[in-house]
This record gives sequence, C-alpha cells and structure tokens, in this order.
Amino acid sequence: MSDIPVFFLHGLVYAGLLFLISSGLTLVFGMMNVLNLAHAAFYMLGAYFSYSLLNATGNFWLSLIVCPLLLFFIGAAVERFLLRRVHVYGHVQELLITFGVAYIITESVKWIWGNYPLGVNLGGFLSGSVNLFGLFYPIYRLFMFFCAILISLIMATVLYKTRIGIIVRASVDDSEMVNTLGINVPLVFTGVFGFGAALSGFAGVIAGPLLTTYPGMAAEILVDAFVVIVIGGMGSLVGALVASLMIGELQSFGALLFPKLSLALMYMLMAAVLIIKPSGLFGEEQ
Amino acid sequence: MKKSMLCGLGISVFMVAVVFVSASAQAAETIKIGVCEPLSGTFKDIGERYLEGVEYAVKVINEQGGLLGRKVEVIPIDSELKPDVASRKATKLILKDNVRYFCGGTGSSVGGAMSVLAEKNNALMLSYGMAAASLTGEKCSRNFFRACLNTDTQSYALAMWVANSGYKKVLGIAQDYSFGHEAVEAFMKKVKELNPSIEIVGKLFHKAGEKDFAPYVSQIISSGAEVVWTPNWGNDLTLLIKQGKNLGMKAKIASYFLNDEYLIESVADDSAIIGNVTAEAYMLTIPGEENRKFIEGFYKDKGYYPSWLRGKAYTATMFWAEALKKAGKDDTNAVIKAWEGLTYEGPAGTWYMRPCDHQAQIPVWVAIMVKDSEFYKHAFVGKPTMIPAKDIEITCEETGCKMK
Repeated sequence: MSDIPVFFLHGLVYAGLLFLISSGLTLVFGMMNVLNLAHAAFYMLGAYFSYSLLNATGNFWLSLIVCPLLLFFIGAAVERFLLRRVHVYGHVQELLITFGVAYIITESVKWIWGNYPLGVNLGGFLSGSVNLFGLFYPIYRLFMFFCAILISLIMATVLYKTRIGIIVRASVDDSEMVNTLGINVPLVFTGVFGFGAALSGFAGVIAGPLLTTYPGMAAEILVDAFVVIVIGGMGSLVGALVASLMIGELQSFGALLFPKLSLALMYMLMAAVLIIKPSGLFGEEQ
Repeated sequence: MKKSMLCGLGISVFMVAVVFVSASAQAAETIKIGVCEPLSGTFKDIGERYLEGVEYAVKVINEQGGLLGRKVEVIPIDSELKPDVASRKATKLILKDNVRYFCGGTGSSVGGAMSVLAEKNNALMLSYGMAAASLTGEKCSRNFFRACLNTDTQSYALAMWVANSGYKKVLGIAQDYSFGHEAVEAFMKKVKELNPSIEIVGKLFHKAGEKDFAPYVSQIISSGAEVVWTPNWGNDLTLLIKQGKNLGMKAKIASYFLNDEYLIESVADDSAIIGNVTAEAYMLTIPGEENRKFIEGFYKDKGYYPSWLRGKAYTATMFWAEALKKAGKDDTNAVIKAWEGLTYEGPAGTWYMRPCDHQAQIPVWVAIMVKDSEFYKHAFVGKPTMIPAKDIEITCEETGCKMK
C-alpha cells in the first residue's frame, strides 16, 4: 500500500485541526470547571472576523493576530459581566448562560453577514502545494498542523513553566488561599476565559479557508470538540492532543478501510474509552 | 350597571362594524397563493430565493391586469421545513382565508404532507423544487402538480451527458444516507445502460457534514476517475470541490447544484469550478427572448439576477397562472382539468403538464462551468445545450402513479 503515508498525513492534519478546535474548550474546563457552550460560537466569530478582515486587507497573517485578540476581549467581557454573576448559582446556570451567549452570537452573525456560506481565497504562498518526498501536498494543510504543534507548545510552556501558569493552576486548586496571598483570582479567571476564547478564535481563523464560513459551522464543530475532550479526559491538554491524533487517524484510515463505518467510528472510539475509563484517557478520577 | 351595558353596546357596534368591513373585503377578493418555504432557520436563504421568484411572477401577473380580472396575492408560509408545521399553517389559511392554491420548493416531506392536505381540502399544491420522484410516483395525487425535474429525470440528464462525453472512468461520491445511496445507484445504472463501455471505478460514501475530504479525494485520485458524479449539496459540495482542487484532483465534477452563485462564491476559487458540468430546469444562460425579458425585468426590479431557484419558482408560477387563465374560473376542479395537457412557452423552453401523473415534461439544460460570465464577476455556467423532455422521459407506467 503506497497510499499509507498519504493517509497518515491526512490524519495528522485533521488531528491538528481538531486539537486547535478543542484546546480552548478543554483549557477553560480544566482551569475553571466551566463547560463553555459558547466555545463554538467564539470559533465561528473568529472565522467571520477573519473573513471581513481578509476582504478589507487581504493580509492573512494580520487576521491571525487581530482576530484572536478581539476574541480575547469578547471572552473576557462574557466572563466578567455574565459568567461571574451566575458563578455562585452553580454549573447548570453557567452552562445555560454560555448556551445563551452562543445563541446570541449565532443569530447576530446571520444578521450581520447573512445566512449563506462565505468563501475565503487565500491566494499567494499558502494556497500552493509543496513536494514532500514525491508527494504534492497543500501547504495550507501542513501549516495547519504546525500551528497546532505551536499552540500546544505555547500552552504547555505557559502553564507549566511560567509564573502565570503557577498562579492559574494554584487558583484552580485553592482559590481562597491564592486570594489571601494578594492575587486577584477573579481577574485570573477572566484572563483564562478570554484566552480560551482567543484560542477558539484562532482555530476559526485557521479553519475558515479550509472549511467554509457559514452560520451552521458552530453547531457542527461543537460535537467534534466535545468528543475530543471526552475521549482525552475533560480538562486535560495532553488528553486533547492524544484524542485528536486518534480521531484524526481513525477518520482518515477509516474512510479507506471501513468506509461503511465512517459515520460511527468517532463515536465507537468514544464509547470504547468511556467503558474502559469513564473519566477519559487522561482525565482525573473524581 | 349602566356603564357595563354601555360597554356591551360599544362592543356589539364594533363587532357589527368588523363584519361589514370583512364582507366588503370579500367582495374585492384576491386570488391567494400560499408559498410554503423555510423562512427561518438553516434553510432560510433557500426558501427566500424561491419566494422571490413567486413574488416576482405575481408582480408581473398583476401588472398585466391580474388573473380573471382579480389581483393575485402572495401569502408566505414559514414551513420551518417541517411537514406538520406547514400543514397546520396551511389548514388555517384554507379555513380562515379561503386560500386554494399552494406552492413550495423545499423539502419533499413538506411536499408530501401538502399533497395529502390539498387532496382532502380540494385545494391545489404546486412544487417547483421538491424533487422526490415518489411525489408524482406512488404517492401521486390529483391535487398535486410538479413543474420542475425530479430525482429520476435529474439523474437521467447528467447520466446522458456523461455517457456521451467520451470519458471512460466514472466515480460516484455521496452522503452516507438513503438518498445518497439511491442517487448513486440510479445514476450508475443509467450510465451503464446508455453506454456499457464506461467503467465505474468507485462509489464512495461519507458522512453528511464531512469536514475533511482529504481521505476521499486521495481515493478518487488513485481510482483514476475522469468524471466524479455527486448528488452532494451545500457545504458537502463546496468542500469536495475546494479541497479536491487543493489536493490535486483533476477529475471533472458533475453536479446539479453548481448552477448557484452562492455556492460558487463559497468555493472562492474559480479554477476549482471551471470545467465542471451541471444540469437544471432553469439557468440564467438559457438563450431566447423570453428568458432575456425575464432577466431584464427582474434585474430592474431587484438589482440582482433571478438565478436558479428564483427562475425555477418564477417559471412554475407563470405556468400555474396559464392554467388558471385557461380554466377561466377560480375553481380547483376546473384548474386541474385545464392544467392537464397544458403547454407553456416560458424562459426555460416548452413545458407540458402530463395528465397521467402531473409531472411536467420539461427540457433539461446542461452546461459547462466557464470563467467569464455576463452576470457575475466569478466563474459561472456557460451557454447550455438542451436535452429535450422526450429524451429523458420516464413513462407513467414506470413511475408507479395510479391517479384516482
């Protein structure tokens, strides 16, 4: 089978996309214990902002920086003015408010950009192909995979090697203690939620040119993101990475080897993991 | 006590007034046509485009003096793409406003429900887009008319193009559910029948809403297919074209839904569009004076072109108006009778309403996607060639329709 390396590459690339999409969700859950249903809506906003910015400036690199930044502020505002108020009432209320935010964003998007798909043509160097050991492969797909690696490295470094990371992790374990040490814990949470939204926005910018930018994109991606973090273990970044790789390769080789099961493969994997380890591959037992 | 009596008197006076007003409205009654389309939710944009076509047709009819000396009025019905919702709203309109004519283009399940409803209430349902063959097949009804292609005739038309194209290797790719499987099977059977020397090099099925087509595109490339036929629509078509091009797929794509500027814009890469082939009952590029006049008029009114769904809905609505004119009175039975066997010369050629199953016999226009278009700044359908209706006719015996 000379095709094996190609399909392996397809799997890696799709895994990269899945990781980008689910990393923000698992970060927010892991650090704040909030299941953010507005996650996919932030992702969609990232794609739409990028569409408008690309139309205005034609500069993809600019939108890769500006859009996540915008999403950071939107995410931070959602945490500061909405999520924080319902925090004391518990998880269900938090879930509902993010659900509401998702609705508002989706409807606003339809209102502003219209209820039909929008296409982005990058042009230039990113839309070309590269010769990879005798195989022509689109540069953009490889770029997507490298972005995923870059993001995972940045996240790991920030969380585990820097002072900010220590504060965030300490705030999760014992927020009162950290508070008494003179650190503004609510501000930390606002920052984390904003960062999660920025990650979603980044994923949206990256996904826009590969997928299509349309109002249904949020709902479609949310399920995939949830499957990834359930398999990997809720809140675990390593888990999200491993689960993305598993699903990516499974989808790619599944399409080749068991086409009849392509619809179910991802869910079969999730069911299998849940039977063996209900908390997910890298989830903490509770 | 006195006060409440006064109040009661006031109410009764008001009610009498209301009765009078509605009675006078009755006298100048319009001919109403209910348009069942999804006007909210995911498919809102499809429904709105159909609705625009009907509205423009009615505008033209009214400018020419209306039908039977009366004005025609469009009543939009948001079907929400749910058969029960459409039925409920339509029933209300029948009972309250005496609406007798309905039409719609989105969702064969809605069409099925409306067909049953029309038969029960002696109303009339016209489809200009609901394509399930069974609606004029096993489930056909005296009160249901279809003035567009159906899934069988559609498959037939593109199969004919592929069979005569000179290409030898064909592959089918579709969404993995019953419609996708049926469509691919029907298409391949037809191709083989028309040209036995064509080789079917693969049938691929992917989940609806697939995001990564790379594993499928690689299989298409290694199969050596020259033509890829797909019943995919919406994003599943956009991504197949876009990602296919990106991954180096050279095969031509044959699809019914390329005749859509929204789809072409969402692909956002003309080089991925050019050279593919599409077929439909209506496209902007159909030659002839009728179509030119229609396009000019619509453009003047709206500022954009009556592409695809708008043109389909317009043409079908004009066909309905012809039936009413011929009937000479606003009576369901008379209109049904008049429509059966009626011929109409419209923007898309000659349409004929077959009496045995109420499936209009209409020519199919086949076109290659080209770079330059007089309508849009991006690639669009080129000048089409016509496949006459009789060349793709599926006889009434074959459809399974037994009309009461």
